[in-house]
Amino acid sequence: MIITRKSLSRRTLLRGFGTAVALPFLDSMTPAMAAPNRIGGKSPVRMAFLYVPNGVIMKDWTPKSEGSGYELTKTLQPLAEHRERMLVLSGLDQYNGQSLGDGAGDHARAGATWLTGVHPKKTQGADILAGVSADQVAAKEVGKATTLPSLELGLEDNRMVGGCDSGYSCAYSNTVAWSSPTTPLPPEINPRAVFERLFGDGETTDPAARALAARQDRSILDFVRADAARIGMGLGAGDKRKLGEYLDAVREIEIRIQKLEKQDPNAIALPTMERPAGVPPTFEEHVDLMFDLMTIAFQADLTRVITLMIGREGGNRTYRNIGVPDAHHGLSHHFNDSTKIDRLQKIDQHHVKQLASFLAKLQATKDGDGSLLDHSMIMYGSSLSDGNRHEHLDLPTILAGGGNGRVHGGRHIRYKKGTPMTNLFLSMLDVAGVQPEKIGDSTGKIEHLSNL
Amino acid sequence: MIQKWIWGLATAATLLSQPAEPSAASAQQLLTTYCQGCHSESNRSGGVSVQGLKADAVSDSGMTWEKVLRKVRTGEMPPLGLPRPKPADSTAFVGWLEGELDRSAVAKRNPGTPLVHRLNRAEYSNAIRDLLSLRLDHAASLPADDSGYGFDNIGSVLTVSPLLMEKYMATARRVSRLAVGTVKSGAAIERFTPGKGPALDGSDDMPLNLRGGLLLNYHFPVDAEYTFLIRIRGNPVAKALPPKLDIRMDGKRFKLHEVVIDPNEEAQITRNIELRLPMKAGLHSIGAAFLTENLKVESGVVSRRGVGAAPPVNNVSVDYLQIGGPFNASGPGDTESRKTIFQCRPSAGQPETPCAQRILSTIARRAYRRPVTSADITPLMSLFALGRKDGGSFDAGIETALRAILVSPNFLFRVERDSASAPGATAHAVSDLELASRLSFFLWSSLPDEELLRLAEQKKLRATLPQQVRRMLADNKARSLVENFAGQWLHLRNIPTWRPDPDRFPQFDDALRSAMQRETEMLFEYIVRDDRSILDFLNADYSFLNERLARHYGIPNVKGTYFRKVAMNGEERGGILTHASILTVSSYPTRTSPVLRGKWILENILATPPPPPPPNVPDLEEKAANSAKDLRAALEKHRASAGCASCHSRLDPLGFALENFDAVGKFRAVEDGAVVDASGSLPGGIHFVGPSGLKKVLLERQDYFVECVSEKLLTYALGRGLEHFDLPVVRQIRREATAKDHRFSELVLAVVNSVPFQMRRSPER
Repeated sequence: MIITRKSLSRRTLLRGFGTAVALPFLDSMTPAMAAPNRIGGKSPVRMAFLYVPNGVIMKDWTPKSEGSGYELTKTLQPLAEHRERMLVLSGLDQYNGQSLGDGAGDHARAGATWLTGVHPKKTQGADILAGVSADQVAAKEVGKATTLPSLELGLEDNRMVGGCDSGYSCAYSNTVAWSSPTTPLPPEINPRAVFERLFGDGETTDPAARALAARQDRSILDFVRADAARIGMGLGAGDKRKLGEYLDAVREIEIRIQKLEKQDPNAIALPTMERPAGVPPTFEEHVDLMFDLMTIAFQADLTRVITLMIGREGGNRTYRNIGVPDAHHGLSHHFNDSTKIDRLQKIDQHHVKQLASFLAKLQATKDGDGSLLDHSMIMYGSSLSDGNRHEHLDLPTILAGGGNGRVHGGRHIRYKKGTPMTNLFLSMLDVAGVQPEKIGDSTGKIEHLSNL
Repeated sequence: MIQKWIWGLATAATLLSQPAEPSAASAQQLLTTYCQGCHSESNRSGGVSVQGLKADAVSDSGMTWEKVLRKVRTGEMPPLGLPRPKPADSTAFVGWLEGELDRSAVAKRNPGTPLVHRLNRAEYSNAIRDLLSLRLDHAASLPADDSGYGFDNIGSVLTVSPLLMEKYMATARRVSRLAVGTVKSGAAIERFTPGKGPALDGSDDMPLNLRGGLLLNYHFPVDAEYTFLIRIRGNPVAKALPPKLDIRMDGKRFKLHEVVIDPNEEAQITRNIELRLPMKAGLHSIGAAFLTENLKVESGVVSRRGVGAAPPVNNVSVDYLQIGGPFNASGPGDTESRKTIFQCRPSAGQPETPCAQRILSTIARRAYRRPVTSADITPLMSLFALGRKDGGSFDAGIETALRAILVSPNFLFRVERDSASAPGATAHAVSDLELASRLSFFLWSSLPDEELLRLAEQKKLRATLPQQVRRMLADNKARSLVENFAGQWLHLRNIPTWRPDPDRFPQFDDALRSAMQRETEMLFEYIVRDDRSILDFLNADYSFLNERLARHYGIPNVKGTYFRKVAMNGEERGGILTHASILTVSSYPTRTSPVLRGKWILENILATPPPPPPPNVPDLEEKAANSAKDLRAALEKHRASAGCASCHSRLDPLGFALENFDAVGKFRAVEDGAVVDASGSLPGGIHFVGPSGLKKVLLERQDYFVECVSEKLLTYALGRGLEHFDLPVVRQIRREATAKDHRFSELVLAVVNSVPFQMRRSPER
């Protein structure tokens, strides 16, 4: 929990990793900080996409009945206190995750399709190809207002060499975020690095020092741009394209610096929250710290779009402290062995419990006229339903948060067979004020998110 | 040099191809008779048509001819069951075709056009180390690089994103601050967990009888006080002696801390041990681990990590180490980095500019890997002035300019130029300076050192290439070949994150994990250092073991944690195919797979990777994997179908020969009550049993293996995927290495002397 009590003057507690860290935050400053970004007094919509790998045990996930009278299933029990602020969505498909003639490799395809809805190209080489993911479609628009257009986070450092899954590049299962069909965005797993992305890496709590650092950064970027121009002379087209990537990146950083400099220096007083020391020793502490950072990032309006991979697709984390010493992916091929199914259900429920704690953090954080959760859409799910059989249809999905009044929870909605998952993304993005024509295989927005 | 190379190639090609028999005409005949039925313009089986190929003009369709060569040479084509040429005719055809292709490569040399090349993370780290005498682990601050063609140093794959640029900016800030030793650094805490960093076993900084701890090389930014928090965790046991934690700084015992535990208190305990110490700026090693002798219970049973049920000892270990600081900083200290950077100090009252200029010119020349001009230095001096003003000191000015050097495209990219007047699409030699960078990034994954740079500036590098290559291979920096080349070629980089099923392989622990990786690394290092034949990879009658690994292998009389060379005379072990590392990464976490192991061998030993499985193939193996017998039967049935047989008749037998090793590389004569059947038969009636049988078959085809290593090494050296026009070069490297007993240095020299390494092709204009 980041903000445990609401209107204390400047000090509140951050419980991260055993020690309580004094955090002069932010409530008093929040209005001043976020004020320039509020449109007509309304809070901006924040979006997070939380991914769990290897599918879930569907019989313990999917509620039996639909509508508002549904009963939370065993796996969803930890979400009881949030029942009215979330939707359970059934029947959404990632048709393009299926082999469609490409043979094995369902884990790679699951990761690559989840937010893109595009059938990825089967390759282990440099010519990877998927689609732009929904979070990145959103970030290109709503990210214009924030220092960081989006954050890509993960909890599992498992980048492998060679191919990862039956002829697919590891890029497909390492991330769910793609800024272009050829550019997977690698997730950051170290909370320390996330903190540094959000707040800088040194003696930066002082606005004057921060402004000075920004000015120096700008001079250095001017310098490298001139260097790149000199290098570029006389190079062939391919080399120029490579340098072009570099210059584009330089320009992007310059724009961020300009945004930073435009902010009122008194309003961007940053917390003296200590930098996280690194990757915490347990999964639970790690995910908790990441949720704290996500909450701060949303609260301070440093970004409005975040993806978090709770596990890498096909990942093999073990969960000894809940009595599951088995590697997750290995276990997910349970062959209907009831011991294995029970253990998988434990993992699913453990993940859902983490989601519940994130929702509680957002609910407890004041934002404008309500809570952060009121102004968010938190999507949680997997791109496989039955992990044993690699099923890409009828995916387990939760949408939590109020979406600024446009998402009404408390229901289990089952969509008709063959509804693309990407239709949900079109609707979510619409709530955030982004109206792309299409995402992947979308056929139109889905209904019932708001009407009762 | 290039002339010499070409002459060498021409001679070799003439000698080896025996061109008189058969002629282009008989080759054309063979192609029409045996290939064109399926590979016609209308059928295009496998996407290949040989219709229209002209045997008297091989160079017109080099790409297709190379495919023909590979398939016929390995006997994959024509497929089993269809009419095949007589073996002698096949052999003659292969010899003729190879000769034709190699001859046309000489006539029409194409060294390829490598793209501008961003330094990858390993190269960046090494460059910082060599430029600023600063050893830092950038794994936490820079994202891992994507790989292609099996390696993560491929120019076309290494991109720059805004995120990466942001990380470069932040890393440059951190590096320059640490290197200069800026005193004002704010205090921060960093946490380290065991398992990363150098291995405890066999380090000179720690005694031998330690366990359950970590050893860390940490760069302290300034002279100051720092806090150390060591968290330990474990299960106390009644009657056990109190465990003793040995805390060491730079190899010297700082404190022997006795952990008093009341066995009744909890199921699992944690303790924090906190220290606050003054430290000198620079790199120090910090170690904390438990004395093994204190893990004995009174009965005298010694702990064995991770074997079987929990042993009756205080099973405690270091959970993590946290370093905080700096506090009460007293100054930048006298670090190696400062000595490297500050070659001069401005004298009081004198202008600072000349000294700043000298410092920045020296660093920029090394960082940019070429002589610098005023166009490079003038803007750096403006940044020096800016930093000088903002930070109020000479050092602060240098720090700001250093930051700029570290994000400059001159540092981050390797750029090679074609002269402006050169016509498009022609081959020309790269400059001496470009060659110096190619060499140093190939053999050291880093910047050229002073000697290379000086020779290149004086244009003397090409004249002294063999000496330079040998000098570089003897240098410690050549260890990068182990980490980056061998680590990726043999998939050793996957071992640290490999997780075998703990129920089936309870004996698999971190000690075994690191030992198996170390064994293969040490074999590679040994072959490099002692300049052994690369065939030792396949059939070494020695290996490198410590007690943990020897126990895994069932080899007696190897005691202690350090590794030593051990003779391997038995049938079971010897060569990488019997290394636990390779056997593990080519298995599933739960069980072995003959298909995966066969694929691993085809890809990494024989350089004839199978095509990916065709569409809609059900995962046969998974269902049949209940017992070894079922699996073998299912795979046999599988091979009975013609569509599957073309690949699986080559894949499966290779893997079956290794079935005596389980999914973590332990030898087994019996599996699930049945005697393991380790026999395999390749098409053409080649029958073999077990690892020694397999090795014999592979050694009979040693040219394939030598070409495989050549291909991997050339890909890594050039940082680009190989094209059909590179394959004659691969064969030439094989021939040169073979003529010199396959010695590793000769293979490297053959790569260095090759046309694509020495030259580049200007882009189309």
